[in-house]
Amino acid sequence: MPFHSFIQRIQSAVFTSILVVLTLFQTGCEDEIKVSVDYNQPKLVVDAFINNLPQTQTITLSKAVNYFDTNTAPAITNAQVLLFDTTAGKPFFFQHTEKGKYQFTPNANSGDTFTIGHDYALFILVDGDTLASFCRLSRTATFDSIRLVDVEGNGPPFNTTGYYVELMAKDAFGKGDFYWIKTFRNDTFLNNINQLNISADMGNTSTDVDGELFIYPIRYSGVNDFSRSFKKDENIRLEIHSISPIAYGWFNLVRNENQNGGLFATPPANIFSNIIAINKNPKNTLGGLFCMSAVVRKEILIPD
Amino acid sequence: MIRLFFVLLFFVFTPSISLAQKAKATISGYVRDSISQETISKAEITAKKIIGIGVDGRPSNTVDESSTQKATTNAYGFYSLSIEIGTWKITINANGYKEYSKIIILTASSEINFNLPIESDGMQAIEITAKRNNNVKSLDVSVQSINGQTIKKIPALLGEPDVIRSVQLLPGVTTVGEGASGFNVRGGGIDQNLVLMDEAPVFNSAHLFGFFSIFNPDAVKDVELVKGGIPAQYGGRLSSTLDVKTRDGNRSRLAGSGGIGTIFSRLTLEGPLALPEKGIKSLTKNRKNPAKSSFLVSGRRSYIDYLAKPFLNDDLAGSQFYFYDLTTKFNYSKGKDNFFISSYMGDDVFKAAGLFGVKWGNSTITSRWNHVFNNKLFSNFTYYYSRYRYNLEFTNRDVTFNWQSYIVNNSAKADFTYVINPKNTTNFGFQSTYYRFIPGDARATSATLNIKFGLPDRYGIENAVYLANDWNSNGKFSIRTGMRLSQFAYLGPGKVYLYNREPGKQGILDSTYTTQRGEVVANYFYPEPRLSFKWQTGKTHSIKGGYNRMVQNLHLISNTAASVPFDVWQPTTNNIKPEIADQVSLGYFRNFGKNSTIETSIETYYKSLQNQVDYIDGANLLLNEFLEADLLTGIGRAYGLECYLKKSGGDLTGWVSYTLSRSERKVMGINDNNWYANRFDRLHNLAVVVQYKINLRWEFAANFIFSSGTPTTFYTGQYKVQGYTVPDAGSNARNNVRNPDYHRLDLSFTYYRKKNPKWESFWVFSTYNTYNRRNPFSIYFATNFQDKNYNAAIRYSVIGSIVPAISYNFKF
Repeated sequence: MPFHSFIQRIQSAVFTSILVVLTLFQTGCEDEIKVSVDYNQPKLVVDAFINNLPQTQTITLSKAVNYFDTNTAPAITNAQVLLFDTTAGKPFFFQHTEKGKYQFTPNANSGDTFTIGHDYALFILVDGDTLASFCRLSRTATFDSIRLVDVEGNGPPFNTTGYYVELMAKDAFGKGDFYWIKTFRNDTFLNNINQLNISADMGNTSTDVDGELFIYPIRYSGVNDFSRSFKKDENIRLEIHSISPIAYGWFNLVRNENQNGGLFATPPANIFSNIIAINKNPKNTLGGLFCMSAVVRKEILIPD
Repeated sequence: MIRLFFVLLFFVFTPSISLAQKAKATISGYVRDSISQETISKAEITAKKIIGIGVDGRPSNTVDESSTQKATTNAYGFYSLSIEIGTWKITINANGYKEYSKIIILTASSEINFNLPIESDGMQAIEITAKRNNNVKSLDVSVQSINGQTIKKIPALLGEPDVIRSVQLLPGVTTVGEGASGFNVRGGGIDQNLVLMDEAPVFNSAHLFGFFSIFNPDAVKDVELVKGGIPAQYGGRLSSTLDVKTRDGNRSRLAGSGGIGTIFSRLTLEGPLALPEKGIKSLTKNRKNPAKSSFLVSGRRSYIDYLAKPFLNDDLAGSQFYFYDLTTKFNYSKGKDNFFISSYMGDDVFKAAGLFGVKWGNSTITSRWNHVFNNKLFSNFTYYYSRYRYNLEFTNRDVTFNWQSYIVNNSAKADFTYVINPKNTTNFGFQSTYYRFIPGDARATSATLNIKFGLPDRYGIENAVYLANDWNSNGKFSIRTGMRLSQFAYLGPGKVYLYNREPGKQGILDSTYTTQRGEVVANYFYPEPRLSFKWQTGKTHSIKGGYNRMVQNLHLISNTAASVPFDVWQPTTNNIKPEIADQVSLGYFRNFGKNSTIETSIETYYKSLQNQVDYIDGANLLLNEFLEADLLTGIGRAYGLECYLKKSGGDLTGWVSYTLSRSERKVMGINDNNWYANRFDRLHNLAVVVQYKINLRWEFAANFIFSSGTPTTFYTGQYKVQGYTVPDAGSNARNNVRNPDYHRLDLSFTYYRKKNPKWESFWVFSTYNTYNRRNPFSIYFATNFQDKNYNAAIRYSVIGSIVPAISYNFKF
């Protein structure tokens, strides 16, 4: 819900303004300190975001690590991974390649593709546990074009030169669509959590208006990195991924937990996973998410 | 339940039946300050019969000690005392006033008003002398009061005296940290304090997020905090009542006071509302006959934005960061009637042009009418309006979002004091309050767009009747019994949500229906018994105890570390049950020294709470139509020991307060359904407040505060999904770690300029956090602190260095 992020922005703006006031009197401060924590029961983590693009799809299995651990998470290499189209009754086997990555490449010629509107089930066999998760591959938005916005030194909210982009795309008509909009600069996904851009329908669930252009905070504020505008010869790609309502809620929580701090901090909370162990007395506690997405994308080369 | 009430009613009145009657008369009236004519509450009136006649034919000085009768003035300075016909010596003791005696020859009931001379005429030497042993003798159990003068002497942040920050130095009172609004009393939440300003409740007592409170100390007469044995006339909040009374205004002459400080300045004007007696030039001279009416206007405004202007860059140029408040009061007396109208309005404004704007504030209006029906029956009728609102605005290019939230209440009440005889005083009354909650009224507007969204309004009505009796047997035993019957109805119009609930889980919407205006959706009725007793074990010591049940129907919905101005108040509904607290407390009070200048007390309490509101993990509290589904309810308990030592009189004055306490909760769905410490739980709390008069010109004051760290929850693990870091709290333990302890020393020196009858003034030089400690408000974990690409623990200090300040104060 963009309104929630709007409120977070207000809160952080107010927070900033308190800091401004306190800084004037040189009183308030934040500094890094050393703290040690015990992480007793590392979770088994499933990162399973599958889309309908004709390219290799990857599911990554790993173990969670201590909060302050900077090493790469230990990979889970001994699992068997199966994705099942329950609507068509069709299995897709994901093979382990390296470092906990399990991959499958769709093939349109053999009909090994994912279909919008079908339901999918994910099964993972690991350490004697049987893990399962379910998700529908939902329709996505209609992508018309990317509009260039020349900011020439006066673009809000920060002074900059160069270009920003505006996503000219319409939400699918009818309620209950959820999207994750990703921005790539020269093929690099801008994955700063503060720029996570998700939308429930066109971005405004509180009114009956539907199926129109995404609202401004989604189609403009959400797709740009205001700390750095786009420069000449950069290739900008926008992708709209349909996501499940569960994934939408999950992303919201991930964002909240990442932005939690200061005066307005809420108690840290564990984020749920939609992957469950279906055997009794499972060995693993679970984290991560399974989500099927339909994708539309467009790209643009930044001119002079 | 009704039967219980009548049993209690009988009990309340029993002691007053069948007392032997002699020829008696009643004296009654008001006790006032001799100069300003301000009424004085809680003044003790002692009557002793005079035996014999002196050599000059006048009454002698010999009194019959066994004839002693006592009365105390009520909140409006009114007293009533029935004594035998004859010659009596009347002595009056009140805080900050010289003992005053008068001999009267009583032949029939009569009205006698007393004007007390102030102990000292300047600001310089006001000593807070104890009404001798009043702390030991009074029936008030866990009551603490501070007057405006004491508040001004405590070293304060940026040199600005503050009511709430002074209250936080009293035993049993804690705070989450600097910059947190409100205060916690005996392990209760900040919304569990009934903060009254001239009888009207205020819903957010903080300016600048809690650094200052909304009460202008120049306008404050006295502040009383009731923590336990809460009398029946108070209700609606679980933990305490903070009763802030404003001054009436000087009836003798035009007077003013104020201060110029680092953050804000304040000015108060007061005077009689009548033509000057000796020409316009004599306005500031004392009138021969005090006027029948007076006014007081008191205002403050901060000027941080002006100070900040040169430091703000282009984005924030044109920003407004300020707060203001204005307190006004008028009163008028005629015969047996007193009329008061007081009002408060204040706002905090934070605005960055073109980016965002935030504004919040309270406003209240109280009108009161005191009427003395006869010399035994005193009444007070009150009507008040109180409103708290905040407004958020956020502009992004051409679209402006605006969000407002309000809580509005209108209330009428009547309170009666009936002095049956010197041994029995009865208080009774009723109150009715109508609430309107506007949790979120939001719109998005641009040239082409105007969308209104938000949450529907909610309505409620709260009614209460109460009856209480103070019974005092020969000064040795006193008992205050009381019963308050409270009722709350959650009313239409609106949409009612019905949820299927499993304990500890998010509710699942079952169905909704719409109600009409005035339709009762949910109705709750509770008897709230109150009891307190005193056993006078000696002249300077006593044992006191109390029990109270409190019921609360307003809930501040907040799951953040510090309460924020945008937290929303919700009524009790069909889904949110009334909060209930039962508290018992017991204390030993003893005074030492000549004239009992050293007061000590030791008190214990245990509080049990029901229907406490908590939240599911990751609850969304802002503008969430299905908010109630995210709420969990549980039980709470709080217990502790409070020690207090206070010295008044002499050059060295001050107090030491120490509290050992626990505040815990148990909620299905949190912390694996085990008890966990509340966010504001602090095991040790120590406050040392000292004032020392060096000489006629200089005064020194110091505070030292120590409190154990507040509990907090840390993430312990992490993993990555789609490039995003997902922090993990492991086993789900809530509040399993402690923040470091908090301690702080504040100092101040006050310099009084040479006295001039027309203009008195003093300078205050102060340092806050003198030894420059970086007390953490909280420690939080961040995945990308300052764009460093790793996870870090961040210590967040609201005030992390010494804060020096100078202020200038004056009075004319």
